[in-house]
Amino acid sequence: MAELQKDPMTRGDFLGFGVMGVIMGGIITVPAAAFLLEPIINIDILGQSNVSDDWQEVGPVADVGVEEPEVFIVEFPLTQIYGDQEIQELSPEVPRSQEEFDLTNAVWLSWKAPILEQGDQGNSGDTIGVPERPAFLDEKREGFTPEEISEVEESLNILSNSCAHLGCPVRWIVNADGEGEFLCPCHGGIYDINGNWYGGPPPRGMYRYTQFEVRENGRLYIKHAYDVEEGIPGISTQEPYVV
Amino acid sequence: MIGRLRSQTIETGKFLADWMEDRTGAVTQLEHFLYEPVPKRGAWLYTLGSATLFLITLQFLTGILLLFYYVPTTDHAWNSVYYIMNEAYFGQLIRGIHYWSANFLLAVIGLHMARTFFTGSYKAPREINWIVGVVLLLLVIGLAFTGYLLRWDQDGFWASVVGIKIGSYSPFIGPYVTHFLLGGDVVGPATLARFFALHVWLLPAMIAPFIGIHLYLLRRHGEFGAEFEYTDRISKLHERQREEGYRQHEFEDDEEYDYDDELDEEGGTTRHRRDDE
Ligand code: HEM
Ligand code: FES
Repeated sequence: MAELQKDPMTRGDFLGFGVMGVIMGGIITVPAAAFLLEPIINIDILGQSNVSDDWQEVGPVADVGVEEPEVFIVEFPLTQIYGDQEIQELSPEVPRSQEEFDLTNAVWLSWKAPILEQGDQGNSGDTIGVPERPAFLDEKREGFTPEEISEVEESLNILSNSCAHLGCPVRWIVNADGEGEFLCPCHGGIYDINGNWYGGPPPRGMYRYTQFEVRENGRLYIKHAYDVEEGIPGISTQEPYVV
Repeated sequence: MIGRLRSQTIETGKFLADWMEDRTGAVTQLEHFLYEPVPKRGAWLYTLGSATLFLITLQFLTGILLLFYYVPTTDHAWNSVYYIMNEAYFGQLIRGIHYWSANFLLAVIGLHMARTFFTGSYKAPREINWIVGVVLLLLVIGLAFTGYLLRWDQDGFWASVVGIKIGSYSPFIGPYVTHFLLGGDVVGPATLARFFALHVWLLPAMIAPFIGIHLYLLRRHGEFGAEFEYTDRISKLHERQREEGYRQHEFEDDEEYDYDDELDEEGGTTRHRRDDE
């Protein structure tokens, strides 16, 4: 065996080296590791988010028809490094950047279609009826009463366009017979008008926004929050991380 | 006149080479690399490693050039690449080389790996070089993955989204991997900054020493299956076979005695077996 250590080491020496090693090692590695792992510390441990927690307007719900879902673009203010609002506002007279640092989300709205026969994830999709659009929307676009507001809130599907498989943007495609479906351009994931899984690789239905409210002005407002489902049970959760 | 000039130049060249050789041994090393003995069969396949080395050098050179104009911010990245493509002198050539060489690099590194696998070059004493090679492959894949986002166009953006989400399926650490790569919980300025740091600093800085180790180990053991090693191995093999032959012979003699002893001692076992049947 190669002899590197010529002087025998006493137990005290060994302990001393060990303690000093841990301290010096900590001084060298902890700042660098924390610097690098900032997002994991902020998000997974402290539970923060880069996205503003304010309500953002989606649009008038009366615009959503019966047959087809409607897409709305929503921009959430974003605070990431130089995109941080505070940093941008430090010197307003000198515009540092042309870019408005927003997170752009496409939100699909549709009316819930009754599920006639429950499907089985991975095998067959749901059999669904005709989407049910609240009747009063034909007469008025705004000035909703509290009852009407809750009726609308209960019958809306509020879906993210980020595919539950690997995050590509899904779109509503209508075929020659006039039948529509949400189709993902990347690997052909298919969802029905409720956003539920219908075919292809996605392990679940489309992500739903969980915080939303309809106001008297007939418009929908949302926050950047999604329903989370377990991916591999007990091992991973599937969130729409990347949208 | 011309003749004298020529002989003087040759003299000076020789002197410089000798001077270098005495101090660094560089000339011998270069000789080893340039006149590498390789097996006759499939000799061209032994150039794949050098091809990989060439392409990665090309990546370093063109990458450093791109850095003079590329700006890694979400509001300027695409514009700066546009500038490289349309305004900068030979920008299309420099970026084109970086792009195509990245693609070929992945193909060539795979072929190089296949060659070492099929010729059995990973066997003792070259196991560590195989492991270092695997590290190099992973680093190159990492470079290709992080480089794609830097263009900040639809292609690169969605490819990276898909790639990051693939990471989110990792058991136990899915969210950590995702948030580490994103630099936050959504794609944004932090994501581009991270990928830039990984692509131009961390991964190249890691790949360089590994290339060094790879080449050092190659020099230490020589090309596998090289002529000299081959003859050496074959003569060793013959010797071993011969020895084995002798031993076999002796063993056969011994065995007869053993057999007899065994029968005397373990007669009971034999009987027992018969009962079972
Ligand atoms: C094995 C090594 C490398 C691979 C496989 C690689 C791969 C890539 C790829 C695929 C792109 C996207 C280019 C495009 O789609 O047009 C890219 C861009 C870029 N790379 Fe690399 N790269 C490597 C090494 C380097 C090095 C060493 C540097 C600098 C030190 C560098 C600097 C850049 C820069 C600045 C860009 C952005 C400009 C652009 O998109 O053309 N790369 N790289
Ligand atoms: S990302 Fe939608 S099917 Fe794969």
